[in-house]
Parts: sequence; structure tokens; C-alpha cells
Amino acid sequence: MKLARSADDEAFRKRLAEFLEEHCPPEARLSNDFIASSEAGDDGVVSIPDWARKWQACLFDHGWMIPGYPPELGGCNATPSQTLVYFEEMTGRGIPRSLHFVGYAIAGPSLLEFGSDEQRRLAPAAIRGDTIWCAGMSEPGAGSDLASLSTRAERQGDEYVVNGQKVWTSYAMLASKCLCYVRTEPDAPRHKGISALIIDMDTPGLEVRPLRDISGHAEFAEVFFTDVRVPAANLLGELNHGWQITIGALAHERSGLWVEGVAICQRSIDDIVAMARRRGLGDDPVIRRRVAELYARVRGLRALGYKGFASFAQGGSAPEHSLMKVATSELQQELVELALDLQGASLAVTDPERSEEGGRWQRSFIKVLAATIGGGTSEVQRNVIAQRVLGLPRGS
Amino acid sequence: MDFSLSAEQEMVRSTAHSLFEGQCPAGLLQAAWDDKRAAAPLWDEHLYQWVELAGADLVDLVLFMGEHGRAAAPGVFFASLQAAQLAAPTGLVAAGSATVAVAGENGLWIPHDGNARHHVPSAGDADEILWVAGSLAAPTMALVPTASATLTEVDQLDRLRPMYTVELPGPPRGIPVDPTAFAHAVDRALVTTAAELIGTGRWLLETSVEYACEREQFGQPIGSFQGLQWMLVDAALLLERADASVAYAAMCVDADDSDRDRAVHVAKAEAGLAARSVARTAMQVHAGTGYTFEHGLHFRLRRAYAGDAFMGPSGYHLDRLGQLLFSG
Repeated sequence: MKLARSADDEAFRKRLAEFLEEHCPPEARLSNDFIASSEAGDDGVVSIPDWARKWQACLFDHGWMIPGYPPELGGCNATPSQTLVYFEEMTGRGIPRSLHFVGYAIAGPSLLEFGSDEQRRLAPAAIRGDTIWCAGMSEPGAGSDLASLSTRAERQGDEYVVNGQKVWTSYAMLASKCLCYVRTEPDAPRHKGISALIIDMDTPGLEVRPLRDISGHAEFAEVFFTDVRVPAANLLGELNHGWQITIGALAHERSGLWVEGVAICQRSIDDIVAMARRRGLGDDPVIRRRVAELYARVRGLRALGYKGFASFAQGGSAPEHSLMKVATSELQQELVELALDLQGASLAVTDPERSEEGGRWQRSFIKVLAATIGGGTSEVQRNVIAQRVLGLPRGS
Repeated sequence: MDFSLSAEQEMVRSTAHSLFEGQCPAGLLQAAWDDKRAAAPLWDEHLYQWVELAGADLVDLVLFMGEHGRAAAPGVFFASLQAAQLAAPTGLVAAGSATVAVAGENGLWIPHDGNARHHVPSAGDADEILWVAGSLAAPTMALVPTASATLTEVDQLDRLRPMYTVELPGPPRGIPVDPTAFAHAVDRALVTTAAELIGTGRWLLETSVEYACEREQFGQPIGSFQGLQWMLVDAALLLERADASVAYAAMCVDADDSDRDRAVHVAKAEAGLAARSVARTAMQVHAGTGYTFEHGLHFRLRRAYAGDAFMGPSGYHLDRLGQLLFSG
């Protein structure tokens, strides 16, 4: 066990810092909110601002989009520990890579891992952000229990005919392609009858209805499929083996994804300390104790993330990382609760002129409620940890 | 930062694990509870030679102490090790077993004058006492024979680590200690104590998971019930977080990193909170079985609370962190 980083990693950090200094646009710097904001029109429907598109393309072109990938895929063949340095630098400065994660984090890596030669050619544009993707996963009847999805695809000649509905589909109204999970074998056991299709969003019979979330923005949508005809060549991976694709994405980055959650929590602590001082609460022992408790947890999680990374980098499994998502998302919520408490009777004021930091914490409060829901609820995560990490038996 | 263990570190851990597995079985804890002399052979025949870890890298010592805590080992080793670490800057070396007399009634290791010291571990079994006086800015130390002191045992939750109030008839002639070196030695003592708590928590968690897999009620293992699964997941999360905090603090102390001060307080607070919480979860999972004296779970539960209290409870270390955050 040792603290120091290798000289190679430090040189990598310096190269990245120089790149960011030169190229990062002001809009991408120090975003205080818990999730980088896209722009929304009068109807609440979000769009990807021009600067964000250019920034993602710039990262790709300079090999800083997914550092572990080779240059033709927007990377620089970074080692695992260099990838960790990348996350530290980006999240420490609050710089987002992209405002739409599906293309680079889910579609691109899945195409590369499971796609035919032709399908793999779609990956660079997905990662660079030139093509916006959505992922057709959740359905009205299949949220946490994703394997119960019922949107079905029937083979007719050279096509699959898709019928059903997806919901909470992020960026569906902006996307030109969908990585869509469908049931292709209704009689097989649940996990064994699912396949992945690449569906063009302008295919006849496909309808997108933007769905506003509680922030008032429509970042996700409902997607309806009525006899949508998809070429059989658009099947990704093997027929009825779609379930592996849902769990395979970005394995090489997963060991570092916790860094962002920890960085957000650390920034919140700093801002909460500053706010407490500003509001004359810096000497209140109860406030100090609460801040210190949460601070100790942030520091503990940071250490736990690095510990998990060490076992990952040595080729072992890293059970630590399955704990990190639950822990950082719940901690983010507790930090926002504390920040609201510090505001006394103004805790519910959103008027930008009359609230702390222009209503930033009230916006964060709404946004961070999603952190324990999206990507698997904390309850499902706990079930998974209980069974796969602790080895407890499944219920009968 | 790199948390991976070197081959030598793996060796320290596995050696310690087999040592305690072989020499500190459940029966010894029961025997030492009834009569503390039962723990003497563990020190006399085995642990005395491990006091030299006081001079080792803290990252190595942490691995040994984890196994010590897992076994909830009774006896004078913990006190002797702490005495050797604290005395290291002075060159004072105890000939046999020893303990540390530094704390006031609040348990904190802040040097002060006066004839009484509190929360002195295992003094009744120690040959010598490291007597600390002066102040944080000008600490002094002396090794005095235990026979020259008046010992009063103060009953504890953890009878496997008896605590004493120690009084001397007059102040011994102490050696001045560099205050920075003293602060450094106290940091080592805190991380050592935290590491022991992690080991105790580790035993409690692992034993609870095993029990939950074996024990059947309503026709299935109780570990298949979601209510119980989530309790154990939360216990694991607390413990893993604290474990990593302790390892990180050890690295910071070894490297004399600028983050050392905060890291040490985080480690002691996290370890104390985690061990106490995991202990309560373990009791709840084991239910009637755990509440039965013979089971032995209660030895670790007691150690968890005693270890949290030692050198100041988690609340104290959180408040120190609060000071660092708000005045730093």
C-alpha cells in the first residue's frame, strides 16, 4: 500500500490539464449542479446545446473522450490507473464529457463488443456524439424487474416486427437511433428470450412522446412501437442473448465511475461549509457535527473507491464498486437535505433572487432524487449486493 | 494511491491470522473472562515478540491489528504495543510487558501533570508503565515499574481488556519528547486502535452472514429474507468504508502526508461507528443465539464499544474534523 502515483500517471495528468486549459469551453467549467444541465425549450423538452456538441467532438478528436480506447474511438490507449486520473481531473473540475450518456456509455461500447463489422462502424459517431442514441429498456411493466419486459419482436422474412412500449427513455426525442431490448422468444425463461435491436427512430410506426420529469424538463420520453419493421441485420449480438448486452457496457470504465459521485459529494461539503459560515452557523456544534459526519463518509467512500480500484487493476473482482453507487447516491441526497436545513425557513424558496446561490440547492434537491432510482433503485442494488457480494441465499 | 498488498504484507496478514486462529480460540476468551490470568500464555509464548511491529510501517501493523481485533484477543499485547509505539521517539524500551498512562478522565491522550492517569489498559498485567506528563507543546515520558504505582481496576463492558486508574506517589523524572514526534506517535496509536476495530467488525459481519445462511426459520434460511439482507448490506457498507479509511490513514501517516491529520480522525471515527453498528446488527441477526453468553459474539460487541471509546469516541473525532473544516 502506498500513496504516491507513478511518474507516468503524473505526466498523463499534466497532459490532460494542459488540454483542458486550452480547449475546455467556459460553459463546461465548474458546473455546480448535481447533473450537468441541458437546455430546455418552452415546452420543457431538452436539447443539446451547441457548445456541448462541439466539446464532445473536441474531446473525441484529441483522444480524451474515452481514454481507455484507441485514438480512432476517441481515446489514447490509457491504462486503468490513467483512466482513474482522467476521472479525478474531469470531475474535480466539474467538467462533463457529454450531456447525453447513452451513445458513448452504452450504445458505443455495446456495438464494439457485440456488433457485426458493419454495426461496429456505428460506434465512433455514437461516442463522438454525432449520432444521438437512446436505450429502449424500461417499460410500464418492467422497471426494476427489467427481465420481465414485454415489447415483442416477431421475425417476418428479413425483418423483425416490433410492437410494444418503452418508458423513461432518456433523450428519445433527440435520438436518431435506439438500442432496443425486445422479447424474441416468449416461451423461453425470462432472461433467455430477450434480444437487442438497433432501430432507426424515424422508422414508420415508431412514436415518441416527451415525458416531463418533476424538474419540469422532458429529458426522457415514452416510445410506442406499432408494427415497426426492423431489418433482421439490425439484430445486435446473438438472437435471445440480449441480456448479456444489458450488463456488459463499459466494463473498463466501471471501475472509475464512482469518482464522479465522490467528487460531487466533496464539492457539496465545501459549499455547505461556506454556506454555513455565510449564514452565521459556522460555530453551531450541531451543524458542525452533521457536516463532519457526512464529510467522514465522503472521505471513507473515496478511500473505498480507490481500494476497489486496486483489486480491479490486479484483475480481481471489486465488490467495493457495487457498494459505491448505493452509497454515493444516498450521500448526495443527505448532503442536499443538510444544505436545505441550513437555509431555515427559506429552504423551500426557489426564487433566484431570494434563495441561496440562486436556488441551486432546491434544483439539486429535485434532481438528486433520481440518483437512487435511475440505473437500478437502491433497493434492487441492495438485493444484488446481498446475493452476489455477501453470498446470501435468494428468497423462495 | 494504491491499496494493493505486497507479498510481504500478505505474509504479515496470513501469519497473524493463523497465529490467532491457533493460539486464541473461543475457549480462551471464555477462560480469560472468568480469570484474566488465562490470557498470560498468549503473551508469554507468542505475542511478546510481535511488539517489534511498533517500529514497522503502519500499513503492516494495521494488517496485524486487524487479525488481533478479529480474535478479540485478551491480554497485555495491545497495551504493550501502544507503549512501545508512544515511547519510540524517546528510545525508552520496556524490558517486558508495558502499558500507557497518559489519558485524563476524558480518555484523550493529551499530556498533563498530576498524579493520576485514567483509562490505562491492562495495567494489572504490565511490568512497566509509560508515564506521560507535561503538555502537548512539551510532553515528557518516563518508564516506571508497575509495582511503584497504585492501581484501581475500573469495571468495563470489555472485561477482556481491563482498564485501570493509575496513581503515582510523586512525579517521575521524565524525558522531554519532541512535540511533533509525540503527535506522530499518537496518530499511530489512533490508527492502530481503529485497525483493531475493523478486525472485530469483520468477524462480526462474516459470522453473521454465515449464520444467516445456516439458520432456518419459516422453512428457509433467514438470510433469504430481504429485511435481514438489507441490514447486512448496510453493515458491510459501513465496515468496508471504515476499513478503507483506516488503510488510507496508515498510508498518510507512513508518508507524513499533509492530509494526515484529517485522515487519522476520519479513520478513528469511521472505525468506531462501523464496529459499533455492525456489532448491533450481528446481535440482531443472531438474536437469541447471540444473546446467549456461550456464543461469544458478545466478546466482540464489547470490544467494539471499548475500542470506540479508547483515545476518545467517534463523536470526539468528528468534532475535531468539524474544527478542521470550519477553521481550516
